[in-house]
Amino acid sequence: MTRQDQIIKWLIYTLGLLPIWILDAFLLGRWPVWGVKPNLLLLAAVSVAVLEGAKAGGGFGLGVGLLWAIGYPGAHGLPILFLTAAGLLAGNAGQYALTQGYAGCLICSAATLAVMEGIHILGGLFIRMAPLSVMLSVAGKEFLLTLLWSPLVFLIFWLIFRKVGLDKLA
Amino acid sequence: MKQFLRQNGPILLVIALLLSILIGIGSMVLGSGMDPLSNLFSVVTTPIRNGVSAAADWAEDVYAYVFRFDEIQDELDGLRAKVAEMEDQVREGQDAQRENEQLRELLNLQEKRRDFVFESARVTAPVTSNWESVLTISKGSNFGVEAGDCVVTETGVLVGVVSEVGTNSARVSTIINTDIDMGGIVARTYSAGILEGDFTLMEAGRLRLSYLPDGAQLVAGDEVLTSGKGGVYPSGLVVGQVEGVFTDPSGKTRYAVIVPTVDLDALVEVFVIKDFNVVE
Repeated sequence: MTRQDQIIKWLIYTLGLLPIWILDAFLLGRWPVWGVKPNLLLLAAVSVAVLEGAKAGGGFGLGVGLLWAIGYPGAHGLPILFLTAAGLLAGNAGQYALTQGYAGCLICSAATLAVMEGIHILGGLFIRMAPLSVMLSVAGKEFLLTLLWSPLVFLIFWLIFRKVGLDKLA
Repeated sequence: MKQFLRQNGPILLVIALLLSILIGIGSMVLGSGMDPLSNLFSVVTTPIRNGVSAAADWAEDVYAYVFRFDEIQDELDGLRAKVAEMEDQVREGQDAQRENEQLRELLNLQEKRRDFVFESARVTAPVTSNWESVLTISKGSNFGVEAGDCVVTETGVLVGVVSEVGTNSARVSTIINTDIDMGGIVARTYSAGILEGDFTLMEAGRLRLSYLPDGAQLVAGDEVLTSGKGGVYPSGLVVGQVEGVFTDPSGKTRYAVIVPTVDLDALVEVFVIKDFNVVE
């Protein structure tokens, strides 16, 4: 694949990310379900990682993490590191341990979400934000609701992957 | 896999780590200001945010008109009745005000006068996290908005406090967010306390009025206002109503759970109080 092919490929992936970001940042917060909103950016990073493998997944995770860190209130820099690591690990898991399909994506998304919720809860406990049961309730609902959105997010990137994934543009 | 991680993983992780540290340091150094990257991103994405917000508002209006016509009609009838009722209350209020002024004179209390300088803004992004309650509004430092400014509705109901300011946008911690901490007072009894966001209550859209005095006799429905103590925030802004009074697990202090008057999910336009004077 030439450098130009690579640029086109990742531009298309970025275009795929655009509607997900708009949904996540501007629309879903207006209509919370069970009092929470899903986290679609994490799903996007994991979906691409599972489909494209570890190296591309890590890079895409870095980009999505950057979007999260600069576009969302109070995120600071942690999401960059978190999603890069998630992309690397999910990509490796997809390539070597699981399938590079929806099942693999679902497992990786669940695992990544579980870690993220764990970090939230530990942070919350550290600053004594609320009792554990309350944070578990929020984290549980966020976890389930986010996974319910995973088929749609995966479908978007799977359609892109079918057209431009791996070396298809070469 | 190990070979791959050896070859590529560390580079990506180091880049991610450096960016994380850079943004983290930026956030810390700049305090209440957005870090330059976030600010640039916010400026660039403002048209998208405004466009999506306008489209969503329009869609909600169309939906409401098509599917909730009867409901809106009922609401209109209800509002007409309420207006009539309020006109009565205004008349009664004028009498009460006169009486109040006389009482103030009798008690030699000086009337407080507040001068608010407003800046109108649109809510361009709703709450985006389940772990905090923060809105994005369409005005920033280019319109003189500063961190710590109070944000209210057109009827003077408190929405929250500006927590971060960018060039053309600002982030507002709503009154139920956990970083809210301001003086509150119960209008009927003048019982003062501290209005605090509480994560346990945030999901239900409530906040608490903590450290109530021992003798405070609050009842459900009592109106809670900002007290303005310390002069950091204006006094007299409507916060909400008392839902119930509880005792802390320690058993030493009591707190009230407050239902905010503002409907955070229905906000479209808000007003930032850029300046105010408390003349005592």
